[in-house]
Amino acid sequence: MLSVVKASKNSSIMFKNYLKIAWRNLLKNKGYSVINIGGLALGMAVTLIIGLWIQDELSYNSYFKNKGKIAQVFQSQTFNGETGTGPAIPRPLEMALRDGYSDNFEHLIMCSWTNDHYLKYGEKSISRPGNYMQRVGPELFNLEIIKGERDGLREINSIMLSESTANALFGSEDPIGKTIKVSNEHDMNVSAVYKDIPFNNTFNDTEFIIPWEKYLANNEWIRNAEDQWGNNSFQMFVQIADNTTMAGVTNKIKDIKKTLNENSAEFNPQIFLFPMEDWHLRSSFENGEQVGGRIKYVWLFGIIGAFVLLLACINFMNLSTARSEKRAKEVGIRKSIGSQKGQLVYQFLSESFLVVLFAFVLALVMVLLSLNGFNELSRKEISFPWANGTFWLVSLGFILFTSLLAGSYPALYLSSFRPVDVLKGSFKAGKYAGLPRKILVVLQFTVSVAFIIGTVIVMQQINYAKNRPVGYDKEGLIQIPTFSQDFEGKYDLMRSEFIGSGAVVEMSTSSSPTTQIWSNRSGFTWEGKPEGFQEDLAWTEVSPEYAKSLNLKIVEGRDFSREYATDSLGVLINETAKKYLGMPDPVGKLLKDDDEEDPGPPLKIIGVVQDMITQSPYEPVKQGIYVYDRFNNSSYYNLRLNPDQSAGQNLAVVERVFKEHFPDIPFEYEFVDSQYGEKFASEERIGTLSGVFTALAILISCLGLFGLTSFVAEQRKKEIGVRKVLGATIFNVWNMLSKDFLKLVIISCFIAVPIAYFIMNGWLQEYPYRVVLKWWIFALAMLGALGVTILTVSFQAIKAAKANPVKSLRTE
Amino acid sequence: MLLQLKNIFKWVNSGGQRIFLLKDINLEVAEGEFISVMGPSGSGKSTLLNVIGMLDTFDEGEYNFLDESVHTLKEKHRSNLYKEYIGFVFQSYHLLDDLTVQENLEMPLLYKKFKGSERKAMVADMLDRFNIVGKKDLFPAQLSGGQQQLVGVARALIANPKLILADEPTGNLNSQQSEEIMELFKKLNQEEGVTIIQVTHSEKNAAYGSRIINLLDGRKV
Repeated sequence: MLSVVKASKNSSIMFKNYLKIAWRNLLKNKGYSVINIGGLALGMAVTLIIGLWIQDELSYNSYFKNKGKIAQVFQSQTFNGETGTGPAIPRPLEMALRDGYSDNFEHLIMCSWTNDHYLKYGEKSISRPGNYMQRVGPELFNLEIIKGERDGLREINSIMLSESTANALFGSEDPIGKTIKVSNEHDMNVSAVYKDIPFNNTFNDTEFIIPWEKYLANNEWIRNAEDQWGNNSFQMFVQIADNTTMAGVTNKIKDIKKTLNENSAEFNPQIFLFPMEDWHLRSSFENGEQVGGRIKYVWLFGIIGAFVLLLACINFMNLSTARSEKRAKEVGIRKSIGSQKGQLVYQFLSESFLVVLFAFVLALVMVLLSLNGFNELSRKEISFPWANGTFWLVSLGFILFTSLLAGSYPALYLSSFRPVDVLKGSFKAGKYAGLPRKILVVLQFTVSVAFIIGTVIVMQQINYAKNRPVGYDKEGLIQIPTFSQDFEGKYDLMRSEFIGSGAVVEMSTSSSPTTQIWSNRSGFTWEGKPEGFQEDLAWTEVSPEYAKSLNLKIVEGRDFSREYATDSLGVLINETAKKYLGMPDPVGKLLKDDDEEDPGPPLKIIGVVQDMITQSPYEPVKQGIYVYDRFNNSSYYNLRLNPDQSAGQNLAVVERVFKEHFPDIPFEYEFVDSQYGEKFASEERIGTLSGVFTALAILISCLGLFGLTSFVAEQRKKEIGVRKVLGATIFNVWNMLSKDFLKLVIISCFIAVPIAYFIMNGWLQEYPYRVVLKWWIFALAMLGALGVTILTVSFQAIKAAKANPVKSLRTE
Repeated sequence: MLLQLKNIFKWVNSGGQRIFLLKDINLEVAEGEFISVMGPSGSGKSTLLNVIGMLDTFDEGEYNFLDESVHTLKEKHRSNLYKEYIGFVFQSYHLLDDLTVQENLEMPLLYKKFKGSERKAMVADMLDRFNIVGKKDLFPAQLSGGQQQLVGVARALIANPKLILADEPTGNLNSQQSEEIMELFKKLNQEEGVTIIQVTHSEKNAAYGSRIINLLDGRKV
């Protein structure tokens, strides 16, 4: 027992002793220390930031305490052999589940989509997104009530507000019991204020909640949907009972719609629970199967982080082993005065621990300095987890892991020297001693070149899709939401007012924004429709000026015209729809409603418009029809601004006119081209982030190379002196020093190219509309890597080559 | 009997030929002896010293040190053995550049797991004995060659070894410094009974010893 205490005390003294020597070593070789610690810190900072990002992704929705038990009810249906999966479900499903399966669920609520509404209190009017929910919604989601009652949806005319919305409307006033006007129509009493739902949460933008019953009371079509199994327009969330599992419940309910509604059986509707744990990261479905989703980016960045750390550790290994000749003597002496190999390994590991510890502190500083910028780039709200004990524990593990990763190879290598060899003073590493170092450099540059190629291809793909013609003129086009009844019947007036003001040259309404499809229709028959064909058409209701205001080209037939009264039953179809419907000559053809009991009037095709991109810019355009808006289903005004005036001037006028007519409604608008740009946001973020990480990876690799070259130049100083005395030019010396490294980088290129090609080609397959990989991308990446290498190596090589040989020879 | 070498052979293979570094060496060393090993360059002096010091291995023969048969011992035991009983002095001193005089002296004690208080006492004693107390906080580079070698000897002696192996300990020193070191060896040998084996080129230094071994091409002559 005593000896154990003695031994551990002794080993702690040893450890202190080792750290002392390591510290003096660091001070003595400042340049080397800067490269070593700086490079490692950079690598660790990247890994830390990526770690924080991944943690943020994984903790999405963890605000909800019952995360593991909550699910959304999803539905898959098959049309023409293609299975689509989504959250939209019909209303009768609610009763079916409540009647037959209630013991499987702790809670079950119907919920609307999250939509913007105007909220008005006194003179203050704002527009916020929110939901209609059934009464137990706040219970199911564990909302944190700050003021008012938890059961805030009990009364039909009550509304629950988020903290920030309450502040925006009421300031310091107590909101509870006050009455606000929703959509300029409905008086609602504030029953509760809940804490804002955090940023990394699906319900982050639910700023208010209104009882579901109010939703029914306001909308006839929703009341009518009570027994319509075909009207998939609602959302349902559940918390499963404690004694059940997601899969178990899904198993019981999957065929419920098919069984209860025979008409739907031909589409094979499958009802299932989509667990909250998968909402964020595994939300992609292909042919009814869950196929991952954002999780691939978690993996991607995880791998990038691991590689960047590896690159930094390789620098450490290479510089440590390259300097081995300097340390060899020390190893020999220590062994001759009684050190065992294990003690030396321990010593060198302590040194790498010290270096890594410094690097970690530096990395923390880097992370703190760059976190804001990173949040902006990645659209996150990550804060540094100072107070999180787990974080520090993980960090300690991270430091130890990195010390081992970076330090074990040098420790084993250095401690294996035989004292007899190194103490003679003539120790030279063998011919192949540099081989592991070379392999590691090749590994570094293989990763770097692969990163370069990957980033270039991502950027290219984004640019390719950005340059794809959208089919209409999105510049100078704005849209104004018209989500309240105030706008009803005002269209003609507003159109003449706006155009009359000189700020707008044309205007139209549409039932969905130009950059999206909000509804799809089926249930038509037409001449030549194949037997059993289940059509699916994008459905947009528009005012007659739609094509004109968008500068959407009519390729066949004619545009809507107010002069023909019959145009109210006319439709425009897009080019893809023409092919899809199988109509070589569509103008004048009829689309008949196939509802047997209560058919709507047939729609007559009057023209064909150019395809316009309404969904993903990477996907083919969907077949769509544009219908004359007979029922005031306008959701947006589309305004073509006057191109002869500045946008600022135009907007000022538009706002003034708008406010004259709708004084109670906040003036909100969006430029269509910036909204279109949102479609690239996700890919662009990935592109920018991988660009940044690639740059850092290259920087780290070059730092290592820089260190190695300076080491080699130092080592061959005498040789260079002798060569120069014998007549070598600067170029000769430069060539001699650079050649070896360039060779390694070229080898890396040839390894990296096929790997990068394979991976990126796979990535591109996800995009139907994708760039063709050209050989010059790879050539460019290789040239870039070589260029950077030459620059890095040349600095030291030229310095060494220019040194006065007399000096370097004299010091020997 | 301190140590005994019986028919020691050591060779390297080069280009299909076997080159002998040590050839049939037989040697017995009693405690308290002061032996000088002499011979021209490449005759195997240092190799012999390294074999005796267990820093190097041999290919054939037997080596007994204090009744332990070294050739059958494992690496770890061997290093424990020489750590315990042998101190080395080198031609180019081989002090650890990053450590002060005091720390250099302390290092072998650390490896031998002496307690802190003992270490302090032993280091202080050694500094005192060698009259280098004033230099204890200097780094080797701040000392003259003679002073460095003094520290080297002090370091070799600090853990009270039975045997000191010195490989041309005065090779890098001027004649006055040489004399001081040799006098020191003589004193250690005579007054404290430390066994010393030194390799030297100098007849004068060899004369300090009690016995001279001459080597030529790896053989005793």
